[in-house]
Amino acid sequence: MWRYLAEAGAVFAKDMRTELRTRVAFNALGLFAITTLAAVSYTIGPYRIAEADRPYLLSALLWIVIFFAAMAGLDRSFVKEEDSHTAALLRLSARPLVVWGGKLLFNVVVLDLLMVILVPLYVVLMGFEVRSITGLVWILLAGGYTLAVTTTIVAAIIARASSRGALFSVLSLPLLLPLLIFVIQGTRAVAEGSAGGVISALRAVISLGGVMTLVSIVLFPAVWNE
Amino acid sequence: MSRGIFPFMGGGITIEFEDLAKRFDMRVVFRSVSGRVAPGEVLAVTGPNGSGKSTLVTILCGLVRATRGRVLYREGSGEIPRESWRDHLGIVAPAMSLYEELDALENLRFFALVRGVDDAETRCRASLERVGLDPDRTTPVRGFSTGMHQRLKIAQAVLHDPQVLFLDEPGANLDPAGQDWLEKLVASERDAGKTIVLATNDLREMEWGTSRVALSG
Repeated sequence: MWRYLAEAGAVFAKDMRTELRTRVAFNALGLFAITTLAAVSYTIGPYRIAEADRPYLLSALLWIVIFFAAMAGLDRSFVKEEDSHTAALLRLSARPLVVWGGKLLFNVVVLDLLMVILVPLYVVLMGFEVRSITGLVWILLAGGYTLAVTTTIVAAIIARASSRGALFSVLSLPLLLPLLIFVIQGTRAVAEGSAGGVISALRAVISLGGVMTLVSIVLFPAVWNE
Repeated sequence: MSRGIFPFMGGGITIEFEDLAKRFDMRVVFRSVSGRVAPGEVLAVTGPNGSGKSTLVTILCGLVRATRGRVLYREGSGEIPRESWRDHLGIVAPAMSLYEELDALENLRFFALVRGVDDAETRCRASLERVGLDPDRTTPVRGFSTGMHQRLKIAQAVLHDPQVLFLDEPGANLDPAGQDWLEKLVASERDAGKTIVLATNDLREMEWGTSRVALSG
């Protein structure tokens, strides 16, 4: 177990080091998120939504921004390995689940960093009232993990396709639609101060994350090696 | 240890391949290729451009599956399962790149860690010094000359002291001194009982082979 963690940690550290030097994924995610947030806050802002509609609409808008920002950059870690011809050597050096674990950790950290910057800005700019910060943090952590684990396996699948184009978003959307519904419900419950709603949404999101983790562990070696 | 006086007595890995064929869509790359390479031997794979030398190497190292035929790795009387081949091999190939944003030591450190190499730092430094690169040079690999690139690829291939070495055009981009050094390295690895597969078009490198598979294209 320790050996696995050390090897996956090496893949994560390598990806993080190369990302800090090129900033391809950081720029893609960050620019998309900030541009979308600026556009939404300028056109809608905190006062153009009726009080009763706020929890619904602001929760949905928050996750739409996070989802599309993720679509803009979370496929990079696998696509870059193929584009720069480093994937073959990685396949011959590291065990498949080590690669998966390292790439997943990288995507989780990148998404969490994005949310650390984006969510407080969103709360301030959109006047999003949060009744339970703990609840919001749990929804963001669970939702972020499930989003990352799903996009990681989809990125591995599309990385070797010759015409990737919109393939990443097209394949991810049906897998992520149930997640989006549950995290939006959970975030709305956070805004309404409904502890029962938060717990129920968290259960669903954690279950989805667990299923996607198991599916990825089973599928990834075949996806990566074949 | 001289191979002539003390034939290789240790475990080592023998690679056997039988009736291999590879086709990409409708294009047949090669068909019915068979051979065997034992510890302490160098199998030279030769042939004109496009004859499938690199494809054969990727099949033998387990990266690509053959359309037909089979490859076996034997250690003593036992067979090594395909998913464990990677633990035993090192490879240099033109189509396999290192991480351009990292420096030489960072690249080797990464490969040492994912391979679970003990005493990684010392091994990485020794490996770089062995190929004539400075371990303390912090220039990213993208700033290396093609010859330095090739030396680093070779350092990566021998870093974990693998029992099987795949060398696809290993002398490409090396200057005459580098080619002399490479010849000595191949000889020392062969004498240490390594199993070596060498794909080349270079007449000098072909001479290093103890047996040969010629692909006709």
